[in-house]
Amino acid sequence: MADRQQQRTRKTTALPFGLGIFLCSMALPGMLAAAEGNRTEKTIEVAPNPRVTVSNARGQIVVRGWDKQQVHVVCSVLSPRVEVDSEVLPPGGPADKVHFSTHILDPLVSGKDQTADYSLDVPMGTDLEIRDTQGSVKVDKLQGDDATVETVGGAIVVSDFTGHLFVRSIGGNIDLIRAAGRVEAYSITGDLHFVFPTTSKLRATTTSGRILFEGDFPDGGDYSLSDYSGDMEIICPPSASFELNAKTDRGKLENQMPMTIRHQPATPISSANSLFGTHLTGKATVNLKSFSGTIRIRQR
Amino acid sequence: MEGTPRYRTAECDRFELELEAYLEDEISPTVPAHARECVFCKVVFEDLTALRRAARGLALEEPSPVVWANIRAQLSAEGAFAEKAGVWSWFWQLDFLRRPAPAAAFVCMVALGCWLTAARNYPQPETAGSLAASTSEPTVVRSMAFAGGALGLEKAVRGLEAAFKVRESKLAPDVKATYENSLNSLDASIRECNDSLQREPGNSLAHEYLFAAYSQKAEVLSSALEIDEGR
Repeated sequence: MADRQQQRTRKTTALPFGLGIFLCSMALPGMLAAAEGNRTEKTIEVAPNPRVTVSNARGQIVVRGWDKQQVHVVCSVLSPRVEVDSEVLPPGGPADKVHFSTHILDPLVSGKDQTADYSLDVPMGTDLEIRDTQGSVKVDKLQGDDATVETVGGAIVVSDFTGHLFVRSIGGNIDLIRAAGRVEAYSITGDLHFVFPTTSKLRATTTSGRILFEGDFPDGGDYSLSDYSGDMEIICPPSASFELNAKTDRGKLENQMPMTIRHQPATPISSANSLFGTHLTGKATVNLKSFSGTIRIRQR
Repeated sequence: MEGTPRYRTAECDRFELELEAYLEDEISPTVPAHARECVFCKVVFEDLTALRRAARGLALEEPSPVVWANIRAQLSAEGAFAEKAGVWSWFWQLDFLRRPAPAAAFVCMVALGCWLTAARNYPQPETAGSLAASTSEPTVVRSMAFAGGALGLEKAVRGLEAAFKVRESKLAPDVKATYENSLNSLDASIRECNDSLQREPGNSLAHEYLFAAYSQKAEVLSSALEIDEGR
């Protein structure tokens, strides 16, 4: 009798314990999947100099150039209600155009759950167009004819790009490193940072962000930097040869480079806030404008 | 159907010519009659009829606020709204304004052109006295030209702002915050430039930054209205 009672007791305690183990073991892979998200990987054969576009709402996008005639994409999403579509044109054979886009399938999905991260390896001659509303974008080592990168709040970093580069962010910072082609960079509240560009034409504007330019001005180059209230700092080598047109309405102008001052017709701005001069032989043209920010020009 | 040779007849040609009118509810008894006789034309007829039926069942979609703002800006530029006659009333009656170009883009081009040409009108100073006399004339020209160009741009921006106020509640909080910060920054620069111009009407840098701020504001608002958060 006592034995039977002991057996019954063992059974009644073992059953919920086993059920609990079973349930946990079923839940664990689901939790891992939820933590890891849904990851997809794809390789697409492409023609020389393809055009790749990415349209994303939230998440990080990283694009790197490589020497294969393929586009390799790895995409991770946090929510199963977020879908990544790809469109390849033409449908058969090496693609001339590849388009990736993120779709939020459920309107209740919001915030971080909308995240889709992309990592792309593309041929170096790729033309690129990226729109990432609230995510950061990083582009490295491309030699295509043109690239357009736009975000609303995400930071943008582009390094070693040789074609026409158009970069715009409403509120994100923009870092362009060793850009070699024509450059246009615009932000409203973000900072602009240029590191050793070798471009012959650069246009950059920010309203309240700062501008930091580090590098030389190639012969024949045309550089225009403008901000409204942020400070601007130009750090160039003593060997930089450029013609300078710098003006600010309410800000200060601080120059450490020896300049030959040019005669300038009278303007409505007082001369204390402007500097028109030539450093060495003036082979490049540098236009700096700020309404109320301080412009600093100094030697590296 | 596959492998069946098709012999196009004169009735098929007539069917194609009259089909469009028939689908727009004009009387044409030859169209349904030929569709009953010709297998190939029957397929075309049935497909188009089905498409028309399905299209009529689609819900009417309200155009986006950007469309209304642009239409309003265009109508305003064409003088569709009654405005007080003033020194600039003749400006809006010029024939070239009737071309179908977006009003905001047009006034941007006009203001930019005025600024570029006016910037080259700096006088060569001979004496301090003549300098004081000669700077006032191009200053007045620049101010008037800019006022004309900025007026239309300002109106277009106001239209976009109204559309943005309707749309902003649907934006994600962090996206909305980014847009609000940028618009506040631009509004601050517009106020400061206007203050500068009241004290110094000839301040070309303030003119330039004021125009740029309005243009950037229009771009930011358009961006916010067109944003598609993947839905």
